[in-house]
Amino acid sequence: MFGLIGHSTSFEEARRTARSLGYEEYADGDLDMWCAAPPQLVERVEVTSPTGKTIQGAYIDSVFVPEMLRRFKTAKRKVLKAMELAQKNKIDISALGGFTSIIFEDMNLLREQRVSAVELDWQRFTTGNTHTAWVICQQVVTNTARLGIDLAKARVAVVGATGDIGSAVCRWLQRHGIEELLLVARRPQPLADLQQSLGEGRILSLEEALPEADVVVWVASLPQGLEIDTASLRDPCLMIDGGYPKNLDSKAAAPGVHVLKGGIVEFWQDIGWQMMEVAEMANPQRQMFACFAEAMLLDFEAIHTNFSWGRNNITLEGMDQIGQASVRHGFRPLELFASDHPETALTPA
Amino acid sequence: MVTMTPASASLDASAHADSGGLPDFTTEAYKDAYSRINAIVIEGEQEAHDNYIAIGGLLPDQADELSKLARMELKHMKGFTACANNLGVTADMAFAKEFFAPLHGNFQKALAEGKVTTCLLIQAILIEAFAISAYHIYIPVADPFARKITEGVVKDEYTHLNYGQEWLKANLETVRDELEQANRENLPLVRKMLAQVSGDAAVLHMEQEDLMADFLSSYQEALLDVGFTGREIAKMAAAALVG
Repeated sequence: MFGLIGHSTSFEEARRTARSLGYEEYADGDLDMWCAAPPQLVERVEVTSPTGKTIQGAYIDSVFVPEMLRRFKTAKRKVLKAMELAQKNKIDISALGGFTSIIFEDMNLLREQRVSAVELDWQRFTTGNTHTAWVICQQVVTNTARLGIDLAKARVAVVGATGDIGSAVCRWLQRHGIEELLLVARRPQPLADLQQSLGEGRILSLEEALPEADVVVWVASLPQGLEIDTASLRDPCLMIDGGYPKNLDSKAAAPGVHVLKGGIVEFWQDIGWQMMEVAEMANPQRQMFACFAEAMLLDFEAIHTNFSWGRNNITLEGMDQIGQASVRHGFRPLELFASDHPETALTPA
Repeated sequence: MVTMTPASASLDASAHADSGGLPDFTTEAYKDAYSRINAIVIEGEQEAHDNYIAIGGLLPDQADELSKLARMELKHMKGFTACANNLGVTADMAFAKEFFAPLHGNFQKALAEGKVTTCLLIQAILIEAFAISAYHIYIPVADPFARKITEGVVKDEYTHLNYGQEWLKANLETVRDELEQANRENLPLVRKMLAQVSGDAAVLHMEQEDLMADFLSSYQEALLDVGFTGREIAKMAAAALVG
């Protein structure tokens, strides 16, 4: 059985969802009430791969909302309690979605293995980052081709290059072969280390990198107050918004700039669940975060282990393995919308 | 899913690691707060003992089992009394008696009316779930002596929670309405009781929100096991959160 641990995108959204799911009392509650509320197993689903294999899963809402990010103890407890609930429900492999994996990593929750009476078994959890990294790389390859960008001659800026997903994307692109990697991140030392381990790549500030890049892979959340000088960007420029939350499209709207939601996959058939509507997917019956899909893939493949775990442990072999499973079980990385391409647009303006 | 967060929302764990280790058990402020919290625990165990014996009167075929549970509670009471002695604290029993009065009153009323379900909800679910969560939150910030005692107690309390769960589960269809009613009347008391001692609990490095959250988790888990759905429980739990 697979599990997805998620949360609403905002407190208001969470209240609306609570109401639609029949949790009226929670819908009326204030933020303090939500802080004390326990996680909820809100939905069970059954998913069938094109191979014919069927697996069961559950969606656990951590009852965390981004408004709680500043309440460190609350945020920490929300993630651990949701993991505890997954484990108590004997879920073999659960993916940490949205902010939950960020909280897990940044607050070093590996030190907090004991939750009340339960000893968390890390083998039952995955960040899903290997699949996310693989999906983002596929999105780069497929969509540069659609935009007429020759990837072999392209400069690709990776913003958040030293992170778990960012460094994996760098290694994969290096193997694939591109003109040049532009490495962007906040902290200088990890950047220097990454550059050394890659044996290539140019370290730049965000402002320096953007005008040079044919492709920008964002795997960091956007700095608040970020303004992008869209006039200085290349035309065409492919931007993969792989951060969380995904709000790049409003910052980089300009002719020739193509923003694609990164790390999102589409399943081959409708799933019949309610929960991805919460994540504001364009096609919530089929689309989901690639990290969630990783839990499904691991369950389809009966790989019940923490496939993606810890920082900078993603290997190219792991990406190949999860990528093959992804194709086999009917997932497809999200592509630029048809309306971006006049030749494929179905309806005239 | 991503590893870099905006500077303004940076989750720098080092700056916010748990408010730093153990409290100083020797200060007057600690001992003063401890005299009330410890008294509540002692009184709670005494009430538990009396309550299980009383429930045995309503369920004669279970009286032996219940008196076994009751004896365990007395053992716990002695353990917690030793914790106070160890710190040189005198438990404020008058405070604790008053603290428990509303819940005690509700239990006695239900007992007089022969309402087994209400009695079990109050003692075997509410009080046990609360005790388990509070003990779990207490253990990491307890003095070494109390820590050992409390760890031993927690193991027993699960048996008690389980006893109430099993009985209610077996009888759910006939007791559902009474259980919901008992929940409405008693769950809000737990929140009020918690709020009353949140200052003292904070001196012991136990935060009200943690206590409430952990209690609700245990409570939810117990009711799920009894056979309520997540939505029904959320409705019931809301009585504690917004009531």
